[in-house]
Amino acid sequence: MVKKEYKLSLIKLGKFLLIFLIVDFGLGIVSKQLFFSQETGKYARSIQAVKNTNAQVLIFGSSHAHRHYVPEVFEKNLNKTTYNAGAEGQQLLYHLAMQQMIVKRVKPEIIILNIDEDFLYYSKEAYDRLSDLHPYYSDYRQELRPILGLESKLVDVKLFFNAYQTNSTIMHVLRYFASPQLDYLGYRPLFGKIEKHSSIINETNKEQDLDDNFVNALYQFIATAIDNDIKLVFVTSPRLNQVDDVNNVSFNKIKNIAKEKEIPLINYFNHKEFTNKLELFHDPSHLNDTGARLFSRDVALKIVK
Amino acid sequence: MLFNSFDFFFFLPIVFILYWFVAYKSIKFQNIILLIASYVFYGWWDWRFLSLIALSTLIDYTAGLKIHESKDSSTKKKWLWLSIIFNLGMLGFFKYYNFFIDSWIDLCASLGYAVESSWTLQVILPVGISFYTFQTLSYSIDIYKGKLKPTSNFIAFATFVSFFPQLVAGPIERATNLIPQFLTTRKFTYKTFSYGIKLMIWGFFLKLVVADRAAIYVNAVYNNIDNHDGLSFIAATVLFAFQIYGDFAGYSLIAIGTSKLFGFDLMTNFKRPYFSASVSEFWTRWHISLSTWFRDYLYIPLGGNRVKKPRWLFNLFITFLISGLWHGANWTFVVWGGLNGVYLILEVLFLKKKRKGILNIGITFILINFAWIFFRANTINDAFFIIKRICTVPGRLYIGSGDDITASLYATLAIAILVVIETKKEFFNTAFSISNNKYESVRLFGYAVLIYMILYFGVFGKSQFIYFQF
Repeated sequence: MVKKEYKLSLIKLGKFLLIFLIVDFGLGIVSKQLFFSQETGKYARSIQAVKNTNAQVLIFGSSHAHRHYVPEVFEKNLNKTTYNAGAEGQQLLYHLAMQQMIVKRVKPEIIILNIDEDFLYYSKEAYDRLSDLHPYYSDYRQELRPILGLESKLVDVKLFFNAYQTNSTIMHVLRYFASPQLDYLGYRPLFGKIEKHSSIINETNKEQDLDDNFVNALYQFIATAIDNDIKLVFVTSPRLNQVDDVNNVSFNKIKNIAKEKEIPLINYFNHKEFTNKLELFHDPSHLNDTGARLFSRDVALKIVK
Repeated sequence: MLFNSFDFFFFLPIVFILYWFVAYKSIKFQNIILLIASYVFYGWWDWRFLSLIALSTLIDYTAGLKIHESKDSSTKKKWLWLSIIFNLGMLGFFKYYNFFIDSWIDLCASLGYAVESSWTLQVILPVGISFYTFQTLSYSIDIYKGKLKPTSNFIAFATFVSFFPQLVAGPIERATNLIPQFLTTRKFTYKTFSYGIKLMIWGFFLKLVVADRAAIYVNAVYNNIDNHDGLSFIAATVLFAFQIYGDFAGYSLIAIGTSKLFGFDLMTNFKRPYFSASVSEFWTRWHISLSTWFRDYLYIPLGGNRVKKPRWLFNLFITFLISGLWHGANWTFVVWGGLNGVYLILEVLFLKKKRKGILNIGITFILINFAWIFFRANTINDAFFIIKRICTVPGRLYIGSGDDITASLYATLAIAILVVIETKKEFFNTAFSISNNKYESVRLFGYAVLIYMILYFGVFGKSQFIYFQF
């Protein structure tokens, strides 16, 4: 009698799992289709970078990359096609993943990585925000598994389901379908300038631990560029205030790695052309469009040299 | 271990297989499996606090037997007091010690006396302590009152105290309901198995989709009160009403569903509380296991409603005040409990007929939401600031920034689904049903879509259940 109940339960459970897998497969196709059909917004820009762009110059980094590098200016000064793959709020692990996926398809000539001085400090958000990569998992399993594996050891189990791969993406799709978000080859300008400002020194020194995963990611980012014969340049973006980074362990480590691997690092912290220039900044950490164009031109000319 | 963690999805099938396929021949062996599983489940969070559960088990087991064996009423009383002092003492120390010390220091400071705060301790609140202490207390009290005979089966009793599905956030089971289930053969049936799975799926939807989505907006507003206006506070409070319902009712359903997988029946903890037409009705539908606990072990012993009216009203008020304090060591909870007590007193005084209808449901919902402001606010001052803002500065509705915008949209969508389903259950229960559809394929397809929605819309950030902190 009991055996009969087990058998019945097992059969029904099997049936249910089969139906669920069909539902997951069917609705998964629809949700993936919706996801990859986006034309504007943050996901559309990452799709463009991973799946479509053949740009000769690629820019990686957080909001400082996304808001400061004007592809049009780079194209004019370097005479090379450029795409800005910067992503707001994202950190090294994400940029590494993007680089790995892109070089699988195409080899750019130059990669610019905009460096945030705190890139190597532990950050929970850096792991949490890797979920933006989940929709790519089925197509780039080999590239993404080691990186997403740092977020969760059960990455294969979780991302087995199409529903989980596209978790929380539908509202973005609808939002940017209803209200498209314009960008210019991945760059989105900020407008307006700071009206009032008191000149201060921003101390970026922190008593915080470095995250070995982030250090390794930086090494891997460099190795991938070298292996694929891609010129890699590190740049730090200007800040409105003077920056005191003398004892910033993360930034010192980045500088040492750049030196060790012979990667040029163009440092715009405390750059006289930008520091305390209110008319060039949207907020103390981000340039406005005028500042971004000036900065882009400057960086492009330095790369040419 | 959290229900909404991937660890649990490996843990549960392992325990299930061991329970039904390895230990199936012996109740004792099955209980041992459940006992070990429960200690692993709890120890996953912090193994050090297992000693408290073990000690509580030992003391209440012994107290139960001694109370029953003793012919002398003073000896009975002594053992009962040992159980009460131990359980409430443990609860008081871990949960309320710092609260009372800090409150004393604040009181002295407000009177102009500076008191050093060297008495404050770094105490970690053991998860679920309010739940299992109440559960074991009810065992000793019921034996003392002669409602229950103690069990001499130590394994069964230890499993009753630590039963993992309901250990950390209830339902707070009565020994009279649960202990006999540990002493009799559990039978596996497809019906209970599938019902358990269905309850769990719905529970996960409530937690991961409704509660955790709403939490993003609620936290954005309640944790930054200076930056928000009245309309945003109203929206956040309504969302919080659904957040806490989704969180706690979701946990209860997962607990009840998990128990069914092992052949156990736990009590219903929520019955669509937001369809209550009065606050007194609300408390017969919300956290039923706690409400009935307070009714049976505090309100009735105080005299309940079989006393003179002023005393009856006092009994009501004090019961809710203590219930508020049970929820947390913060004056916000005390005020929340007191406010509910006041609501009930007003209903006793002014409402002679049983209330019904949509209008009364709406009024009750508003009253409950008003009380939730105190429950959710970080401090009493915050709560009054929020109320003042609602009354004086409607302002602009915050809809979030960046990804927060989509969070509130997901929350609204999830709540809409919940409201439709609960409305249908409350008012049109005989109409079309997916869960009870006569066609198996419709039922299976419906639940498959629900799981898809959980994975597609849910928040998977290892968020804790709110009631864990209580």
